Amino acid sequence: MSALEIVDAGWSTTIQDAGRSGYAAIGVPPSGALDGPTRDLLRRLVGNPPDAAVLETAGRLRLRAIGPCTIALSSELAPRAVNDGEIVAVDPARDELWGYLAARGGIDVPPVLGSRSHDTLSGLGPPTLAAEQRLPIGPDPGTPVIVDQAAVVGAGARRATVWPGPRLDWFAADALQQLVTTDWTVSADVSRVGVRLDGPPLRRVVDGELPSEGLVTGAIQVPPDGRPVVVLADHPTTGGYPVIAVVDPACVRIVAQRRPGSSLRFSVPTLHP
Amino acid sequence: MTVRLLPFGPAAWLLEVEVGGDVLATATALARSEAVNEVVPGACTVLVHLAPGGDYDAIGRHLLELVARAEGRVVDDRSHVVELAVTYDGEDLAAVADACSLTTAEVISRHTNATYRAAFCGFAPGFAYLTGLDPALELPRRPTPRTRLAAGSVAIAAGYSAVYPTASPGGWHLIGHTDAVLFAADRDPPALIAPGTTVHFVPT
Repeated sequence: MSALEIVDAGWSTTIQDAGRSGYAAIGVPPSGALDGPTRDLLRRLVGNPPDAAVLETAGRLRLRAIGPCTIALSSELAPRAVNDGEIVAVDPARDELWGYLAARGGIDVPPVLGSRSHDTLSGLGPPTLAAEQRLPIGPDPGTPVIVDQAAVVGAGARRATVWPGPRLDWFAADALQQLVTTDWTVSADVSRVGVRLDGPPLRRVVDGELPSEGLVTGAIQVPPDGRPVVVLADHPTTGGYPVIAVVDPACVRIVAQRRPGSSLRFSVPTLHP
Repeated sequence: MTVRLLPFGPAAWLLEVEVGGDVLATATALARSEAVNEVVPGACTVLVHLAPGGDYDAIGRHLLELVARAEGRVVDDRSHVVELAVTYDGEDLAAVADACSLTTAEVISRHTNATYRAAFCGFAPGFAYLTGLDPALELPRRPTPRTRLAAGSVAIAAGYSAVYPTASPGGWHLIGHTDAVLFAADRDPPALIAPGTTVHFVPT
């Protein structure tokens, strides 16, 4: 069976699939690829089933093919054959923060609670990657590869649709308007858990902590300092900061892929028909 | 029982239960619906992840009807009881006694004599917020969280007690430790304490 050997584990590299659902009530984060649509596109490019695992990296990941394999990279968006011994570089696509590699057969590590995703919050799932480690590639799925090149999935997009959240009444009357008219800057505080945004603070009219309540990926939490945090795949399952709005699931990838220092805008469909 | 329906994006609703209402019975009633993928209890709320498809507002009304119909008829299961052997040797035990104007022996007996119930989870896999803490032991979180504390640490804060399932940072007051394994991914069920579990602490 072919494998990928890690030459350089790069930055924040993890194995990710569609995530770990069904365990939120006992505190298990959803995890899964931050850019779900790109993971899904790459797995279709190599003919993999929906739950196949990929590699996600913030860059500088270098791999050596052990045996021949077929891969697809988010920086190329087309499948290609790789020969035994060949070095593969995985970096984010231009203007993106996270890069992906899918291999035909999938990254075949043992699933934990039904998923091969590494959860950076709790450490659940396959362990952190290190140089010289060999990642097995699963058996050929036997499916035809039906798409050989794909359109770019909105790379560089900077506007995300949001829906009014459950705790609007904790904020000043104009806070939602401010959220969707501000040119936010992505701070350096970005991870698989969430993205903190810089901009004029969103004013709260209720102080203190909210009794803990469930969170969804894409929820925009506002701590007392008024700087919004968009929670991503490895978010804790409950939290005590009020949620002003929720990023549409289809737009979460836009938020996750913005680089620190770049801008981000939100729009509410009902306010801008 | 009054329940407020709050929007939480296009694929989830949040149901807020009135003070004194039964969050876990509400969660149990909702989890049975085919429109529901997953429910996540909170302190006063149930987050409902919706199954794909269907009209968002119509599903919201359906969820409210489910809760109304179940009222008084869904009795949530209290049969799951866990006893945890605790060594009361926590780093903060003396400080907790001081802050509560009790002796350390009184802190231990008050913590031991209560019956706890897991209300909801969060923070980490298997971390359950246990209600039922003696009001004499109510303290806010520590002003500065510890960057690392040991797995099995038994702690109190903000009117709850809890056990840290894994080594992690934490801002609660440490009063003891248990050797029980709170969370193991290869065990079924993985969490020793889940929402609804009754918990007794037994001093060793």
